[in-house]
Amino acid sequence: MSDQNPIGAAPLDVRPIKKRVWQRLSLVWLVPIIALGVSLWAAWQNYQDRGTLITIAFENAAGITAGETQIRYRDVTVGEVESVEFDDGLSVVLVHARVQQNVAPYMDDDAQFWVVRPDVSVRGITGLDTVLSGVYIEGNWDTQADVAQFEFRGLEQPVLTLAGQRGTRVVLRASDGGSVSAGAPVLHKGLQVGYLEAPELSFDGTRVVVTAFIESPYDRRITTSTRFWDTSGFSVSFGAGGVSLDVNSLASLIEGGVAFDTIVSGGDPIRDGHLFDIFNDEETARDSLFTDPNAETLEVAVLFEQSVSGLAPGSEVRFQGIRIGEVDDLNAIVVGEGSEAEVRLQAVLAIEPSRLGMGAEATAEDARVLLSDFVARGLRARMVTGNILSGSLLVELVQIDDALPAIMTGTGGQYPIIPTTESQISDVAATAEGVLARINALPVEELMDGAIDLMDSIERLANDEATVAVPSSLVALLEDSRALITDEDLQAVPGDLRDVITDIDAIVTRATEVDLVGDLDIALENAARAAANIEEATESLPAIAAQIEELTAKANALELESLVVSSTETLNAIETFISNEDTSALPASINIALDEMRGFLVEVREGGAIENVNAALESANQAAQAVEDAVSTLPALSARANQLVAQTEAVIESYSERSRFGAETLATLRDIQAAADAVSSLARAIQRNPNSLLTGR
Amino acid sequence: MGSSGPISGIISARDAGLVACQRCGQVHPRDTAYCTRCEGRLRSRDAESLQKVWAWLIAGMIAYVPANLYPMLLTSTLIERSESTIIGGVVELIEYGSFGIAFIVFFASVMIPIGKFVAIAYLAISVQRHSLSNQHERHRAYEVVEFIGRWSMIDVFVVAILSALVQLDTIATVNPGIAAVSFALSVIFTMLSAQAFDSRLIWDTDRTQHE
Repeated sequence: MSDQNPIGAAPLDVRPIKKRVWQRLSLVWLVPIIALGVSLWAAWQNYQDRGTLITIAFENAAGITAGETQIRYRDVTVGEVESVEFDDGLSVVLVHARVQQNVAPYMDDDAQFWVVRPDVSVRGITGLDTVLSGVYIEGNWDTQADVAQFEFRGLEQPVLTLAGQRGTRVVLRASDGGSVSAGAPVLHKGLQVGYLEAPELSFDGTRVVVTAFIESPYDRRITTSTRFWDTSGFSVSFGAGGVSLDVNSLASLIEGGVAFDTIVSGGDPIRDGHLFDIFNDEETARDSLFTDPNAETLEVAVLFEQSVSGLAPGSEVRFQGIRIGEVDDLNAIVVGEGSEAEVRLQAVLAIEPSRLGMGAEATAEDARVLLSDFVARGLRARMVTGNILSGSLLVELVQIDDALPAIMTGTGGQYPIIPTTESQISDVAATAEGVLARINALPVEELMDGAIDLMDSIERLANDEATVAVPSSLVALLEDSRALITDEDLQAVPGDLRDVITDIDAIVTRATEVDLVGDLDIALENAARAAANIEEATESLPAIAAQIEELTAKANALELESLVVSSTETLNAIETFISNEDTSALPASINIALDEMRGFLVEVREGGAIENVNAALESANQAAQAVEDAVSTLPALSARANQLVAQTEAVIESYSERSRFGAETLATLRDIQAAADAVSSLARAIQRNPNSLLTGR
Repeated sequence: MGSSGPISGIISARDAGLVACQRCGQVHPRDTAYCTRCEGRLRSRDAESLQKVWAWLIAGMIAYVPANLYPMLLTSTLIERSESTIIGGVVELIEYGSFGIAFIVFFASVMIPIGKFVAIAYLAISVQRHSLSNQHERHRAYEVVEFIGRWSMIDVFVVAILSALVQLDTIATVNPGIAAVSFALSVIFTMLSAQAFDSRLIWDTDRTQHE
């Protein structure tokens, strides 16, 4: 109707009125259609692009902002948080996010999400970029598209192992979680080759289980014979080499960590999830390497009568110093019945047949037979001190040669029983206790009493008058000795000797005068030697004095007085002989004889008995010959004098020797007397018959 | 439809068998095809005027939707990257306490375009319904819409100038968003819509009524 009127009202309109609607449509309509199309297409595109909605539940959504916080995968943004809200019970925060559609299919069961925040740890600082840009949610999933999930549970801690990282996961079992913490390094020969993930309690709650991720290619080093041990903290060990402080990396010091090594080859390759135990230290780990946990062990029991304190499950069992097993269990059992019942401590030993040198195929029965054979030959078990400081004990199987016969009771009880022998426990406590017991047992009181008595006695003795007198007696003794030494008689000995020498000298002089120089020279030499000897003797006198002093201590048994007296007598006798008138008269007699001869010659010359001159000369010659003969006896005298001197020497020497002194002196005396007799008989003969000098008869 | 306006009785060029040039106003005999003065095409009435008006208007309105949904400005600074839509920007300005600027932005970017849509739609509908009322007011409204249309571009200019000036690489960058293009398109479409409206139709109703 609205169209009819204007058209009807415009009869002059040149254009046809009755056009079809679509024919009347202006092309301008294309513009809004295109605009609409573009808009719808854009909207559709936008709808398509906005991604898949996923929901992640976090305990704590600190830093997550709707519309800003991104979801990243390998640091590439793949989505954005759309909204943040609580769930019905306000228990968790639900983060709704849109992720790219091409990524969404990969978010399956294994997808993990966590919030990346700045984190400062011993290993370093991570997430520093989030300080400025704000936190983001990191996602981690593998490259296998599985059944896509849309609801996830966010993790509180970052996942350490990114999906797709090549490596092997092994499960480690530790008795204590103190040494393992999430992110702690796994070391192999000092290199970090992996890390631990979050530790958790095992199902039964007795151990801590932690998954370790070992990066490829290091995971190829892990076989069934690989051992892991704890490297956390530091260890101080005292050994023969002193104190050893062992510290690993600083990170492992604080965070803990484990190390592994495969020492022997031949292990089988492992698969993901292989279970390993964490040993407390490397040594234990290496030790355990030779223990096949699956090997058959022989369990034998040992019954100890004394305390097994210090022995614990795990204590070593040694055979000839080699570890062959360990103590498996300790318990008390009752032996005997009725009034003879006794409580014994039973140690169950797990012995590995392979360690007995029986080869890997040896069975427990083989080992039992072997051991029972050994026992029959004297093998006994005993406890010995393992560590003297800790007092820990170990069980040792030893061969006792004179052991009482015994057999390993086989099938009777639960375990075969190895007979025991006396244990050698020397732990510090026991030793110290023993020492203390001994000190206690010492008769200290009596000792003190005795000591006091002794002191009293000493005091009494010291105060005793007699004791006080001892020094004075000693002084007196010394004085006596000195007096003896300074005794004139004794001192006179050298003087007397000197007199002897003088006298001999005089004799010699006289002998020289009668032309006996040659002989007398020898005599003089002898005299000189004698003098030297006398000097020596004189010099040795102090020593003699000392010896005498020494002797005085041995009482006055030595008859020194008489010795001295006899010596003096001897010397006096010698002197007497020397000063004998006969002796001194001898030269005079000779002189007289010469004088007489001279007088005779004068008589002859004056008497004028020329005729008898020849005869006279002959007689004179004979006389001279006689004189010569007489004089020729003088060398014997000289010789005797020499002998005297020699004997005097001997006297001096024997004086030193004391023992032969008297006898020698007497012998000398006799010799000198004999000499004197000879000389006097000669003198008498000449006196009696002076002519004999001339006549030679 | 029956009521007669206060200015009824006016004789239009068409009634007089003439056709006026819409550009220079020269009046020609009715069958003249081109203006003898400016050589503009002479049409007594543009029969497709309303179609064009509606078409452009709808296009403008369609374009106006993304102009409001998408960000107008992409601002990146060292630590932050923000996108602001028109309304978002206004809210932000109000939050910062810049009420004056917020009002200007709101007026130029929201009130004027929407007002134009309403005004043009009203004009078109009233012509279609041969409404006799408020012919003068409608004509004035048409003139205002046509005049004000060009000023609607002020938003786009601001975005263009900011984008050109603030390009400090990583420190601060301003880029136009999709909304800037949409908004410009919306303004252009609205202006074309306003232009397509043949204001003489307002008065034809009166004429028809008199006949």
